[in-house]
Amino acid sequence: MAERTLADQLGGYLPEGIEALEQHEQQDLANALRDARRRQAKALAEAGEEGLRYVPALLRGAVRKAVGL
Amino acid sequence: MTAENHAAEAEILKLARVLDVEPARLGYLARVDADDLQAFREQVTDTLFDANAAALQRMALAARVVPVGVLAKIAEKVFGPLLCARIAGLVDVSRGVDVAKRLSPRFLADVAAELDPRRASAIISRIPLDTVLAVAGELAAKEDWITLGRFVGHLPDPTVRRALEGIDDPALLRIAFVLDDKRRIDHVVGLLPAHRLGRLVTAAAADEDLWTPALDLLTHLSEARRATLVPMLGGLPGGFRERVQATIR
Repeated sequence: MAERTLADQLGGYLPEGIEALEQHEQQDLANALRDARRRQAKALAEAGEEGLRYVPALLRGAVRKAVGL
Repeated sequence: MTAENHAAEAEILKLARVLDVEPARLGYLARVDADDLQAFREQVTDTLFDANAAALQRMALAARVVPVGVLAKIAEKVFGPLLCARIAGLVDVSRGVDVAKRLSPRFLADVAAELDPRRASAIISRIPLDTVLAVAGELAAKEDWITLGRFVGHLPDPTVRRALEGIDDPALLRIAFVLDDKRRIDHVVGLLPAHRLGRLVTAAAADEDLWTPALDLLTHLSEARRATLVPMLGGLPGGFRERVQATIR
């Protein structure tokens, strides 16, 4: 699958000065943003299940329902 | 270096923080207009905060049914600073404040570094003074000037005044350099004791690394406040004196 460009990741619009950057520079920013998003998604996925271990047993059902697990 | 270059340099430091990359990697952004960099940084911040919005919203909902003590434990042991920062703007304000009160200043300092103050302003402004001072102390010890600078615009004036009392002159110059809203610099300097501005300039005179932050600060002061520095010009070392003089005239 083709990598999303910087503008794609940011909703289609780039400030003028960023738009004027060299292609490889925009690509570097796109890569950095993509990596930051992946790190965040991974951390979130891991935290959901792990967090439940600390929730009192009586409340786990309600919490599972709320988070959609 | 012009005021514009100073602003771009500060913006690159802040963007590198948001993306979790080394500032040197973004060196090519030095030629971009600072306003464009700020707009871009805010776009990137919004994209990251919105990226997992549905999952974060569900977690914030779940937080309503979990006792505060348990939430604080989960926050520190499982979620870590990044996720706490993402969720902070989504939870009920009073609950967010209650959880924050139970977290250690060291952990809160890590959360603060990841937080978008625009999204959690209601919680930030209600954190007790003692906690704010302890967190500011942690951030200063870590030399995290960017985070300290980002919060100045979101805390009540008396809190800012107290927090800045505990920050030394070189640190204060570095914080002012990366302040999110430079238009607030004159107001913030006005919160300091009258003699402190002169002390800041004296501190900069002794360390060439502080010249840029000091000159940047002076460009954002009101004319009246700049004028108070004229009598001390003669005592400044050559090189720095001429640049201060050119900036405040």
